[in-house]
Amino acid sequence: MSWTGDPPDGAWPLEVEDLTVAYPGGPALLERVALRAAPGEILGLLGPSGCGKSTLLRHLVGLERPRRGRIALFGRDLWADEGAQMDLLRRRFGMMYQGGALFGDLTLLENVVFPLREFTDLPLKAAEAAARLKLSLVGLAGFEHSQPASLSGGMRKRAAIARALALEPKLLFLDEPSAGLDPVTSAGLDQLIVTLARNLSLAFVMVTHELGSIMTAVDRAVLFDRELRGVAAEGSPAFLASELAGPQAAAFFRRAKLDRGAQSRLKAENGHF
Amino acid sequence: MSPTFRVQGPEAGRLSLFGPLTAQAPGRIWKALLARRDLRGTLTLDLGGLSALDLNGAAQLLWLRETLGGRGLAVSFEGLAEAYAPIWRLAENSLGPPTPPPPQPDAISRLGRLATEFLADVAALIAFLGELLPRLAGLALRPWRGRWTLTLRLAQTAAVDALPVTALVAFLVGLILAFQSAMFMKLFGVDIFVADLVGLSVVRELGTLLTAIVLTGRSGSAFSAELATMKTNQEIDAFLTMGLSPTRDLALPRVLALTAATPLLTVLADFAGLLGGDVVMIALGHPAAAFWTELSQHLDASDVSTGLFKAIVFGFTVAAVGCQRGLAAGSGPEAVGQAATRGVVSNIVILAALDSLFAVVFYVLDW
Repeated sequence: MSWTGDPPDGAWPLEVEDLTVAYPGGPALLERVALRAAPGEILGLLGPSGCGKSTLLRHLVGLERPRRGRIALFGRDLWADEGAQMDLLRRRFGMMYQGGALFGDLTLLENVVFPLREFTDLPLKAAEAAARLKLSLVGLAGFEHSQPASLSGGMRKRAAIARALALEPKLLFLDEPSAGLDPVTSAGLDQLIVTLARNLSLAFVMVTHELGSIMTAVDRAVLFDRELRGVAAEGSPAFLASELAGPQAAAFFRRAKLDRGAQSRLKAENGHF
Repeated sequence: MSPTFRVQGPEAGRLSLFGPLTAQAPGRIWKALLARRDLRGTLTLDLGGLSALDLNGAAQLLWLRETLGGRGLAVSFEGLAEAYAPIWRLAENSLGPPTPPPPQPDAISRLGRLATEFLADVAALIAFLGELLPRLAGLALRPWRGRWTLTLRLAQTAAVDALPVTALVAFLVGLILAFQSAMFMKLFGVDIFVADLVGLSVVRELGTLLTAIVLTGRSGSAFSAELATMKTNQEIDAFLTMGLSPTRDLALPRVLALTAATPLLTVLADFAGLLGGDVVMIALGHPAAAFWTELSQHLDASDVSTGLFKAIVFGFTVAAVGCQRGLAAGSGPEAVGQAATRGVVSNIVILAALDSLFAVVFYVLDW
């Protein structure tokens, strides 16, 4: 019988075993990756630029086929069946791309209604009410008829989260939600992610560099390393930031702290940033 | 198989809901309920039987309450399980009234806006020409300052790479023109004059126009898209802040390349068109040389030179308009497509207008 309903009880939203991450035709970037995200958990994927985090994310959402290993979403193997079953599985998670990837010729409301129109047979007005609710949740009430191009970067990312929430997935992938945002907007976005995770028991898997996001939003973090071609450390952000987590973690957090230190010094010297 | 959402009623002002209420709820249930115009007074929705409720489900209930409320039917909810109370509260607190869509401008303001935009467009083109011509003069005075490598490369892409498509189109047009006219002229036994008809049409008009249209589609649109992409990537801004001129460094090489390439391509297009005509004449039983002999008696140097003169003007126009549309692009990814479209449309309109103008001027000058 084809699967249409809920996952088997107790299935993890995301479970990865022995995964090899590589560009198509390129050398392996990461090997033997194992990950797991629980309902309501915010999992951070950290690491220096070029270590393969974003490529890992492309594997997790099914845009790249893994060379080796298993990716299971809600207890279902992502690559077990590439036809309709994979499409069904894809509707059960959301993805926010770095720039938002909103459809430029649609208004915000139409962007969020789009998946509801495609995959449900709700009356248009009911779908619009659901979409307005999502936009309001991310703090964009009143911007329903705005075009994406007229919004700031932070608002576009919020709208992208609203669109990812349209079908109410229980798993959301975020690619660098704080990239290119000022510290205040970035903190607001972190707060939104925490609120959504706690209220809707949504599991988040986010790639991030931002120390602020890591310390305030992330429940558990996995640090990848280019030389090790794999996981260098794993645990709570507080653990990773301590001296116990190993040299790679120490180097990553020292550099991230330096960045923040430089930013706050600049702010203090210039009065603004 | 998971249970599906269903309802019972409405009976005596009560509607009982069962199963999971999510985005997957069958929309026809709500459509059937909204079609019931006989409901009056109050409608109580019993939510006790719900086995799941998410935000999409809550949004549907809130939408139902608002829509039916608008018809004077008061909707109330009861029996919601405690487990779904947080979702319900979140939805109820978040969902406000819909934002009214922005007012659409009426027909007269739209017409006014279109007219203003059209005039601004024309003004911008003239201003660009005013910027381009002095640069051209400056280059003539100091030719060593030109970007000749880029110009040659562009000319190669515009001319050499466009050879096959231009020749094919011209050949087929010559062939069709000859065939259509020959069918009729053969009736009167004057089919030898097909050579003159095809020859004059192709050399004076079609060869030039076809080449210009092919170049509009191939090169003019590419110029618009390239420069618009540079604009969105802030490369044009970088030029300006470095004190450089995008007109001189980006537009001028493209204009020169196309102005030089168009007459050359036109000669080839003319020849291909005539060849098409000759093929038809041969098919009609004339010796291959008859076409050219007939042509040489009626086609003179002025016919060829008018065509080539127009080709130079058209080449200049196609490149200049293409570049101007690219440099005047807005921001964002859609600006690139818009710039290319606007470039092609403007070019085709301007080419048609210029060609008509030339026809009148050449007639008056007896050229």
